[in-house]
Amino acid sequence: MIYPKKLSSKKGDLIFKILLFSSVLLGIILFVINKLTTPNIPWATLTNAGIIYVWITVYYSIKKNTNIAGHVMIQAIAISLLMLFIDYKLGFEKWSLNISIPIIIIIANVTMLILTIVSHKKFIRYAIYQLIIVLFSMIPVILIGEKIVENIVLSIIASSISVVNLILTLSLSAKDVKDAIIRKFHM
Amino acid sequence: MKNKKENKLYWRRLDNSAKIFPIAAGKKYSTVFRLSVLLKEKVNVEILYEAVNKALEQYPSFRVRMKEGFFWYYLEYNPKKIIIEEEKDYPCKYIDPRKNNNYLFKITYFERKINIDIFHSLTDGNSGVMFFREIIYNYLEIVHKSELKEERRTRKIVENDTEDSYIKNYDKKAKNNSSSKKAYELKGKKIGLGGVSAIHEIIDMKALKEESKKYEATITQYLTAVLIYCMYKENYEKYKYKGNKPIKVCIPVNLKKYFPSKTMSNFFSYITLEAEIKKDNLTDFDKIIEFVKNDFNKRLKEEEIIKTMSANVKLGNNFAIKIVPLIIKKLLVRLSYIEIRKYTTITYSNIGRIGIIGKYKDYIDYFLMLIAPEPVEKIKCSSCTFENKMVFTFTSILKDNSIEKRFYKFLTDRGISVEIESNGVLDDISKEIK
Repeated sequence: MIYPKKLSSKKGDLIFKILLFSSVLLGIILFVINKLTTPNIPWATLTNAGIIYVWITVYYSIKKNTNIAGHVMIQAIAISLLMLFIDYKLGFEKWSLNISIPIIIIIANVTMLILTIVSHKKFIRYAIYQLIIVLFSMIPVILIGEKIVENIVLSIIASSISVVNLILTLSLSAKDVKDAIIRKFHM
Repeated sequence: MKNKKENKLYWRRLDNSAKIFPIAAGKKYSTVFRLSVLLKEKVNVEILYEAVNKALEQYPSFRVRMKEGFFWYYLEYNPKKIIIEEEKDYPCKYIDPRKNNNYLFKITYFERKINIDIFHSLTDGNSGVMFFREIIYNYLEIVHKSELKEERRTRKIVENDTEDSYIKNYDKKAKNNSSSKKAYELKGKKIGLGGVSAIHEIIDMKALKEESKKYEATITQYLTAVLIYCMYKENYEKYKYKGNKPIKVCIPVNLKKYFPSKTMSNFFSYITLEAEIKKDNLTDFDKIIEFVKNDFNKRLKEEEIIKTMSANVKLGNNFAIKIVPLIIKKLLVRLSYIEIRKYTTITYSNIGRIGIIGKYKDYIDYFLMLIAPEPVEKIKCSSCTFENKMVFTFTSILKDNSIEKRFYKFLTDRGISVEIESNGVLDDISKEIK
């Protein structure tokens, strides 16, 4: 005998598939209930957006081999999109652009700042996510320029913190940032 | 030795062959090959752990993990500990990085056997053997310290010699020689539930050599001919194939034999034999072996090998392909991979003799090599030789093992002694059917 008697292929993904199927089923049921009971209020769209958000979070946590900075980036982008979608579906009063997204950007940047200081040695792994967060944080500036945002104070604070964060990062780990860019964008 | 800071920063591009593997790889296309050694004694896991760590110090290019870039994947230093487990899965399964501390090779053991499953992006069979051999030497040196005291092995760190030898040696002007004809696809029901059957035919090397000499063929040529004959009899003819697709056998070629290279990355190419069964009336073994010998001679020429290698390098170096973001490359390759694979019926890789020095040999029974089968190439074959034992392995996802049986019968009918070992997958299935 050169092999064990019972060989098995891992079935861990079965649970994942069952949960995914249940989510799709739940989404359809909610949509049908919504259509049958209160067709004028599209609440099922919002719950389904919530389900999609949960799955983005679960997928990145389980499937992707991402470090903590990657999770901060994904959460910042995913929550922002969720907020924007809910705002849009509720009449687009722009609370997502005026308040939610700037606050999310501030939290993401402060988290990255703390990460940079605390785990300075691991920074090369965070660098690329940090740069994407900085780019994402510039969106409020564009929105101010386009006069889409009415309350500009929070947006300016958010983008400013991001710029400070970038400067601090570059002064602390410029070489790491350069190296991360080279390896991530090599052709 | 590199210091910690240098290790932390270490990264390398994937070589030209390796680029496609992580893009296409998944549970169905694991692109994993396995090397196993059967020792004459039970494996001690603590000692094995020590031996692997020692080998990693000597071969730092294996201490890497795969990362996603914007255009391509790349490899970077992996600071995590190696994981060694008792064998419990089918061979050559997809190596899930999350469950393997991100390593691209997986070490398992079972009683007297040590396995290393290697993801092809990391290296090819030739360099894989070098690393595996180092693990075995280390293991035996720790277990049999006093007995192997006198054996002197030059131990040096094989630095991250990971140059892309493809880029260095390809010919920009070489014309593409690949055939546009799709291959005959083996028919039959699949095992299901991700099951993989492994059947090892342990062949007496001396007798095999003599038999192949009768046909003035090399061992690889002879076994390829037997394989084509068995596929013809047990699949092509059995399933009454009416089409005109040829049986195409892909034979990997170690390019280090043709070009000077010390790389530990991939450096192999392949030749594809195209057996036009109907057109050339290849219906008996004598005709098949004549065809195999001629086709080998035609294709195993340096200029032909350069053509194949260069075509692949040009594809990987194509600017239009380079600038496509990885996420789109993944999508396109995964959608088209089944079509790409339809140009081969079967792969047979013979990595040849695994040389073990001095007294170390006394502790080893034989070696095995296995390649992961795929949804299109449902059977893959491989062989390696240690002392007088050549182990020819069929890894298959087909329920029908008549090709394997015919192969065994063919050799034994000619007086060649063959022993069989298997992972028992098809035995279980036949019991279930009864």
